Amino acid sequence: MTQVYLPRTLAELWSYLEGKPEALVYAGGTDLLVKMRTGKVTAAPALICLERLAEIRDVRETADAIRIGAAATHAELLRHPLILTHLPVLTQALHTLGSPLIRNMGTIGGNICTASPAGDTLPPLYILRAEVELCNGETIRIMTIEEFITGPGATQLQKGELLTGVLLKKPVEYNFHHFEKVGQRKSMACAVASMAALLRLSPAGVIEAARLSWGSVGPTVVTAAVVEDALIGEKLSLETLAAAAGKIKQIVAPIDDVRATAEYRRSVSGNLLLRLLDARPPS
Amino acid sequence: MPLCYVFLRMHSTESDESHPPDTEETSRVNPYIPEIGKPVPRADAGAKATGAEKYAADHYGEDLLWAGVRRAGVAHGRIRRVDTEAAAQLPGVIAVLTGRDVPGTNRQGIVHKDQPVLAVDKVRHCGDGVALVVAEDRATLQKALSLIQVEIDPLPGVFTADDALRPDAPLVHEDHPQGNVLLKATIQAGDGQAALAGCDILLEDTFHVPVQSHAFIETENGVAWQEEDGKVVLVVSTQAPFRDKWEISHALGLPLDRLHIIGPYLGGAFGGKDGATVQCLLVLAALHASGRRVKMWWDREESFIAGYKRHAVRMDYRLGARADGTLQALHCRLYYDTGAYAHLGGEVMALGMEHAGGPYRIPHTLIEGWCVYTNNPIAGAMRGFGVAQVSFAFEGMMDLLAGKLGMDPLELRRKNALRRGDRNAAGVTMTQSTGIGDCLAAVQDHPLWQERKAWKRGAGPFRKRGVGVAAVFNAMGYGRGLPDSALAKVELTTEGHIRVYSGVSDMGQGNATAFVQIAGQILCQEHTAIELVQPDTERTLPSGSASAGRTTYTYGNALIKACEELHRRLIGRTALMLLSDTLDDLELLPGRVKNLASGREIPLTVLAAMMAPEDRVCISQFLMPVVRDKLDTGKEFVIGFPHLLFSYAAHLVCIEVDKLTGAIDVKAYLAATEAGRVLNPQSFEQQVQGAIAQGIGYALCEEVLMEKGRIVNPDFATYIIPGALDIPEMVSLAVESCEPSGPYGMKGVGEVGMNGPLPAIAGALADACGIHITGSPLTAERVLAALQKQQETP
Repeated sequence: MTQVYLPRTLAELWSYLEGKPEALVYAGGTDLLVKMRTGKVTAAPALICLERLAEIRDVRETADAIRIGAAATHAELLRHPLILTHLPVLTQALHTLGSPLIRNMGTIGGNICTASPAGDTLPPLYILRAEVELCNGETIRIMTIEEFITGPGATQLQKGELLTGVLLKKPVEYNFHHFEKVGQRKSMACAVASMAALLRLSPAGVIEAARLSWGSVGPTVVTAAVVEDALIGEKLSLETLAAAAGKIKQIVAPIDDVRATAEYRRSVSGNLLLRLLDARPPS
Repeated sequence: MPLCYVFLRMHSTESDESHPPDTEETSRVNPYIPEIGKPVPRADAGAKATGAEKYAADHYGEDLLWAGVRRAGVAHGRIRRVDTEAAAQLPGVIAVLTGRDVPGTNRQGIVHKDQPVLAVDKVRHCGDGVALVVAEDRATLQKALSLIQVEIDPLPGVFTADDALRPDAPLVHEDHPQGNVLLKATIQAGDGQAALAGCDILLEDTFHVPVQSHAFIETENGVAWQEEDGKVVLVVSTQAPFRDKWEISHALGLPLDRLHIIGPYLGGAFGGKDGATVQCLLVLAALHASGRRVKMWWDREESFIAGYKRHAVRMDYRLGARADGTLQALHCRLYYDTGAYAHLGGEVMALGMEHAGGPYRIPHTLIEGWCVYTNNPIAGAMRGFGVAQVSFAFEGMMDLLAGKLGMDPLELRRKNALRRGDRNAAGVTMTQSTGIGDCLAAVQDHPLWQERKAWKRGAGPFRKRGVGVAAVFNAMGYGRGLPDSALAKVELTTEGHIRVYSGVSDMGQGNATAFVQIAGQILCQEHTAIELVQPDTERTLPSGSASAGRTTYTYGNALIKACEELHRRLIGRTALMLLSDTLDDLELLPGRVKNLASGREIPLTVLAAMMAPEDRVCISQFLMPVVRDKLDTGKEFVIGFPHLLFSYAAHLVCIEVDKLTGAIDVKAYLAATEAGRVLNPQSFEQQVQGAIAQGIGYALCEEVLMEKGRIVNPDFATYIIPGALDIPEMVSLAVESCEPSGPYGMKGVGEVGMNGPLPAIAGALADACGIHITGSPLTAERVLAALQKQQETP
């Protein structure tokens, strides 16, 4: 029988962690419980569940930034007015994540800490230049998500440390948000490849600013300044996008697995760029 | 379901004037007479929706033990040693058994007894069981299973039909006289392949279909215990409780009268529970459990590894036609990979071969089949039994031919469609209802077909739209050589109810509801007065397996006779009680028999009290008719060839292809189905829709992936079945005909719908993009690769 602690305050959490330093911390359990069933994670002495920690579950804004509590569920974020208003690219990604059941359980902090190359919130968080807030009860560390995630399933999270929040600048300089995921079916699908994009388009259709990222085509989310540079200053056209697509196919580092070959992932990484041909700034 | 409610209200007021006036609340539950042809609610709906209905998996019991199997994990090898010592000494372990502890023949199999309950000398696929453990709880069971030391010397394996047929191939069964060939068979009609030479057009192609999993919700499971008199009771998720009894008896050497099998409603099966899964293992466990109940329940991974699958098949086709599109000759070679054991492999292939020419007139055919053993998981029965595979090939050939001739693909199919009186591609005269032409006509008339050109023009950027059609059929019943029989039993209970004893399982297809309708139709009783007993070898009678689209047809025919006999008795016995000198004035009404002339009536409770118990029970047998043609072909098939009855369907699909990802989006689906008369429009539509959904999975994404016989995607995160968003609106048209041999003119409808989606979607893909993919499933990756290849070749 595994003990499960359900702290209601951070203070309770730190005291549980002190008593059971080997305990595994989780929020929705949509990754951890699956891994425990298959034996990828062997039995822990105890589990600490974050779902009742209201302190790290809310979404707040300042004049130019948004802070998302790490234990906010995907479903909560999907219907949150601040996210809908300021971070459509994240909303689009959340729509494709798992199923309603998984979105009701899974959290943004969990998606980040699992650090799967296929994590659906990660490509948007990379181009939003998200920062993560890490706390061990005494000190707080803040770093970019790019620094935090170091490899497939690997992060800078230290023992006794908790991801408490995600900090995002409002991306006011972009007027077009886009996310697309390719999976093996329309829902309940692990990403075979995905792409997130933020663009600023001039009324004449010139790309004035661009940030792009790709999921599931490398050990971590792939970003490519060279591709962004190829777009910035150019008119949004099939030729522009095709040229950028050619570049990203050289940059991504996908693998063959049970879902798709590396070759397919490489092709799709480029092809997904072409979808931006439909991009229009909001009128 | 507003239609149902309207119907219920009508009948409740007509049938019993004493009912209180309808209110919104009571209208839903008012009794009604379940009748033929009406969308009567499923007999199992309420109990299943509320969770009251107990599947086998819901059976536990006090003092329960758990049993589990240690699997080989090696595809082919010789067992050197199975050391059970450490497991047996673990506290909480009741028994650890190996193949040497199996009494009886230790051989299972429906036709060929080639599969051990527990392997003794050799393992032939990764899922072979090498030891059985009985323990106090699941944790102890898992621990004990891991403590068993299994030493197996690996042998070279064969993992494709091609490999298995090489002269120097390792033998899966050394004692099988034909080596790795379980069955080689030939069907020839007319001049055979010689006629290909004289054809104006000759086309050839090779098609591949992969292994598919049934993916039922309720995995293989059961509970067994030994009673004080030595009898073993088994509650099991099974499609064939009576055959299970014979199989267990044979494998474990137990007399038939020491076995009692109970088969509740199943949480899905689709053919995967037609044959031994947990049965022999559980009875063996019960024999070592001192009367305690023992439960075995495979988890999803074990279900994948040890359960049955749909055969992977390679299909080489050559089709010859006249310049006007008239089909002339067909030659095909079919290679079915049956895995490690026969199961129903030969019979699956036989049905595939019988359907290899499609629902068309082809005067000259040569159809050759090889069903071969490999070291892959066991292939067996699955909805569309061997036919779902060949449907991809024959309809693929029809699309190729239409393309070659520049002919409308639907017109080409109509031109060649079988009619009553024709001989089919196996040389059998179609003497019964043969509605494929009407199905195709219904599709042709539908707006989805008529307006397809305008619809296709509406595709967005980087997208292409296409519309495909498929004409398919599926035999029903066991076919010649195996009596397709059912024994129906119906009783007037002392409560004045009608109790139907069904001997044939309902795995969700809805036959139980049809039985209630038949009883209601003939005996004029309200649904609340009709009870159903699910298969139980001590209460119901042998009625064959729930398979081959036969359950309602065969059992229904028997039940009609039994109900008619009971009707006669109830009228006749009432005459005695009412002192009527004629039966003509007596009418069986809900709850009573009434003399319409005198107005006097006898409640059924009173009638039941008067009648002797044996007088209140009627039993009747039905034996399905068989083909009468004397065929000089297909002689290798001991059973299951040829078939008399077929259901037919024409399918239409509208798809949109994403040229950037290769993904196929199924936008709309239409099925026109001829399965005789429709007994229940709701059940009919559910079967059609369920089959289409499963067929879309087979077409787009379902594929058991293997590396040297080991399944690499044994779970639903990696074995991809479609979700609700992947299935479009499905329109089902019933194209009724009357099948005179069927109960109220019906034929089985459960399987035919499975055969259409793959060829229809492949045709739509060709229509959309001009690519002709011959290996399924049509994954986004395969489609994108084909699109890229198309771009590269000028």
